[in-house]
Amino acid sequence: MEHFKTQKMKKILVAAITLLVFAGCNKTPVVPANELGGGVIMDPSLTDPAAYRISVSQPTPTAAQAQIPVIICSHGYSASTFEWDEFRTWANGTSKYYIDQILLAGHGTTYAAFKASTWHDWESTIVDEYNLLVSEGYKNIDFAASSTSCTLMLDLIHSGLFNNAGTTVHIFLVDPIIIPSDKLLSVAGIVGPMLGYVTADNAPGEDVYYYHYRPQETLQQLEDVLNTVRGELQNGLTLPKNVYVKVYKSIKDPTADPVSAVLVYNGVKTFDGNRIDINMINSDIHVFTRLSLVPNVTALDRQNQVYAFNDITTRIFQ
Amino acid sequence: MKKAFLIILAVTLCYFAKAQSSVLDLGLRLQKDIGLYSENGISINFSDKNLLPDRLYIGFSYFTSRIGTAFSSNAIKQDNFLISPAYYFRRDKLIRPFIRLNAGYFDADYGSPIFNVLPNKSLLLSPEGGVSIQTHLPLKISLSLGYNVITSNGVNNVPGTIYPFFYQLTLSWNILKHKK
Repeated sequence: MEHFKTQKMKKILVAAITLLVFAGCNKTPVVPANELGGGVIMDPSLTDPAAYRISVSQPTPTAAQAQIPVIICSHGYSASTFEWDEFRTWANGTSKYYIDQILLAGHGTTYAAFKASTWHDWESTIVDEYNLLVSEGYKNIDFAASSTSCTLMLDLIHSGLFNNAGTTVHIFLVDPIIIPSDKLLSVAGIVGPMLGYVTADNAPGEDVYYYHYRPQETLQQLEDVLNTVRGELQNGLTLPKNVYVKVYKSIKDPTADPVSAVLVYNGVKTFDGNRIDINMINSDIHVFTRLSLVPNVTALDRQNQVYAFNDITTRIFQ
Repeated sequence: MKKAFLIILAVTLCYFAKAQSSVLDLGLRLQKDIGLYSENGISINFSDKNLLPDRLYIGFSYFTSRIGTAFSSNAIKQDNFLISPAYYFRRDKLIRPFIRLNAGYFDADYGSPIFNVLPNKSLLLSPEGGVSIQTHLPLKISLSLGYNVITSNGVNNVPGTIYPFFYQLTLSWNILKHKK
């Protein structure tokens, strides 16, 4: 009788676990039309690419134009070109440099497109834009990356993309993520399939620019790229001769754990064996350079943003 | 805090050496933080013959990424010190489930004063549960899964490389076995 009860309990337990595991597999959220991902709102760079990318608005630069630095601005996971809009606004149409805002593959469109994308797809967007600008003749190409784009940039350095750069490539990493603040990402592979997706705690208004619903497949992709680049940093990443890297990291960050800065700083060496430049920023905002729609922005937050913008646009000429 | 732990360990070892009919397991602890580092070290567990012998244990562990992921790499060098009461079920059986509650201390070395603004020390608190294989030899093999209750969320002043879930394997030898 006891044996029978134990067998029955085992079957119930197995059934319950199986149900739980597969319960989330086909779960798809209903994304409202007034949110990014719902199929109605799209990133504006898709309908008006010339307004966002110099590679589109000026594909055949003159010899003088080709010398002007281009800063490719690349956003983070689940974000959109919105993340670097304030940089463009602050630049105020200057003729000293061009701002080129890209939209990572799978982002700024639909939930389904995001779900189907991999971190290699996200990275390919950066590579394609860089190669396009090079082929168009631009000689000075730099990068301002935020959050997961920082992770992708480190992987691209590791891949050798910039090994033969003719001029200095300046790469600015704003709030790089190597260690996530949400440590449950470490079990995304186990918990994710049960949930199907997670819901982001976006601030009011942000759902137009940041995916509200994050498919568990993309969380696994995020975990994968973080672990990949963490391994690359552990093994040591030496910058090619013509690559300059600087990190700006908020000392408190609800998305990219501030310890990420430690891993980047300890993991990267310059060509001549030195450490990279780094500023630890007195901020609790993730991607402290983006303040629009952030609640309770302080005067210090604004100073931090302007400091970073000024620093970036000064160093690109060094 | 480190010195206090080492003093407690030394005194405890002296006491244990005289308690010859109880169980004193000395072992290697191999831990993997799920999603992050491997951290390895030593583990000492004692059960008194007069107090739920071979069931109730008290242990001490030190494990570190220095002889794990951080060995010859740029991974963060971090140290863990734990004191652990544990209870082992099914005495005298080959396979014995056990539960353990760890309390201790974590310390990470970031390597540069630039990062003095970041938290690098924390208390540790983690329940663990697993199974132990205990043959008639002094060898014990213990495998368990644990959960760190205190972890960082990026804003709460806890070091960022304490991850929530871990599993560990301890291979230990009862150095008091066969002594009368």
